[in-house]
Amino acid sequence: MRRAFSDALLQLAREDPAVIFLTGDLGFGVFDAFIAEFPERYVNVGVAEAQLVDCAAGLALEGFRPIVYSIASFVTGRAFEQIRLAVGYHGLPVVVIGAGGGYTYADAGVTHHAKEDLALMALIPNMTVVCPGDPNEVTALLPQVCRLGGPSYMRIGRFGEPRFESSTPIHVGCARLLREGQRVAVLTTGGSAVHALTAADQLAELGVRPAVCHFHTVHPIDVSALVALSGQAEVFVVVEEHGLQGGLAAAVSQWCAAQPRAPRVLRIGPSDELVVGNPKQNELQRRLGFDAAGIAAICRELWVSAATAKTAMGEVP
Amino acid sequence: LTSALSCADILVALYGGWLDVSPNRLRDPHRDRFLFSKGHAASAYYVVLACRGFFPVEELASYGTSGSRLPSHPCRLSLPCLEISSGSLGHGLGIGTGMMYGMALSRHSGRAVVLMSDGECNEGSVWEAAAFACAHQQERLIAIVDNNNMQAVGRTDQLMGGATFQDKFRAFGWGVRTVNGNNISEVRAALDDTPFMAGRPSAIIAKTTGGAGVSFMADQTLWHYRVPSREDLANALEEIGEQPLIEVST
Repeated sequence: MRRAFSDALLQLAREDPAVIFLTGDLGFGVFDAFIAEFPERYVNVGVAEAQLVDCAAGLALEGFRPIVYSIASFVTGRAFEQIRLAVGYHGLPVVVIGAGGGYTYADAGVTHHAKEDLALMALIPNMTVVCPGDPNEVTALLPQVCRLGGPSYMRIGRFGEPRFESSTPIHVGCARLLREGQRVAVLTTGGSAVHALTAADQLAELGVRPAVCHFHTVHPIDVSALVALSGQAEVFVVVEEHGLQGGLAAAVSQWCAAQPRAPRVLRIGPSDELVVGNPKQNELQRRLGFDAAGIAAICRELWVSAATAKTAMGEVP
Repeated sequence: LTSALSCADILVALYGGWLDVSPNRLRDPHRDRFLFSKGHAASAYYVVLACRGFFPVEELASYGTSGSRLPSHPCRLSLPCLEISSGSLGHGLGIGTGMMYGMALSRHSGRAVVLMSDGECNEGSVWEAAAFACAHQQERLIAIVDNNNMQAVGRTDQLMGGATFQDKFRAFGWGVRTVNGNNISEVRAALDDTPFMAGRPSAIIAKTTGGAGVSFMADQTLWHYRVPSREDLANALEEIGEQPLIEVST
């Protein structure tokens, strides 16, 4: 996703002279082509997240379209005040990029874990929060969020994530139905989409066919996609590499709670506990049951119970 | 009120012909940018803006009332002649550096002036911005510190240790001058002399008195919070020999 981001950034800067890139002293070697081509539009602010965002707000007030880049945990936590007031209150078109979202840096220690970034950003009025699932979505969404005219946050991962193909277009605000299915719908955001697709392939061999719908835009949530899905499925399985509050599961649950009749919502993902002991990201996903195997297991179980207990729709067994 | 009165003379120096701003050229790219970062002193700023024709003087009577365009902390959404909304301290200088970077890229003339309180300089973000401004040689950026040595609950010099603002800004590579901030012509002279050093941003340390001009308010922390009675107002006006700009009902 980082390479997709730096390529998309360079392309965007070529198309739009107002695009300016600010980094909080991160991205060694990643932006060399950008620096060579647009030295004045590359600003390394230093390890100073408050200044990174306030400065970007000043540039946006001057008509620029700043894209700020730092580690997800630092930019959303340390600069929350600046994003909330200098960017959000002023309604400025600043794109905040959080690199290494979720547990990308699981083995780097708790300081680098970002399981609350989506929640923090979704709390800010008029903020659009996107969490792409693969490099293709990064490429497609960056120019779209840059042209929104208001603030946005994009969580990206690291290098070399797998790509997935789908005929559904990538439009900010619109969920993508990646697999048709029934009874059970798997709702994903970020890299969990890849796990859900792997699970869906394994399940198809067993005759289990859950729908897979990917929400690269977490906020505002795509309500029409939820309406469509709730017509097909009795259970939503939400998979997210995020804390319990303020992420995709929270948004989906909130919507479902307000409906007269809605699918039951199960969430798999990290708990609220601190993750110590420097596990690898994939090891953590396996341990907490939100990798492909974990998704497949829960879907298989729900597939059977949904078939036998259709009348209990919406109730927790 | 103390914070508003301490910076009133600075505002008069700025808006009394020094700043290149006008109600008719709010979005002129070559205007000077003035960022009122010490938002809690808005009452003084509103008076100066009204007197310079940015909105009707009569509107001052609505200050702080429900639905007013003049809340106790300035809001750009309701009053578009403001460069920024403020109220949370420590944003103005950082935003100012971004504006200055943008103005330089766009080849826009004009200066950016940020008025901060001394208590505001408790915030670390001020010093992140100060380092950035020096690194980018922002010689058209001017920070004015309203150094009334009075903050919400304490004295600035006691809370921040012995180093003076002069020493601090100098250490960050700025050109610095300390003036009597309640003397309009001294402030004006310092502004005229900017940049103090070629290629460096300028800091004007304005030594002021909280509640300047009114003997019973001067340097009294109580008046950081207290709303004057009708009698207090009459006494204060008598001391400075002025009539009220508008009639305010109580």
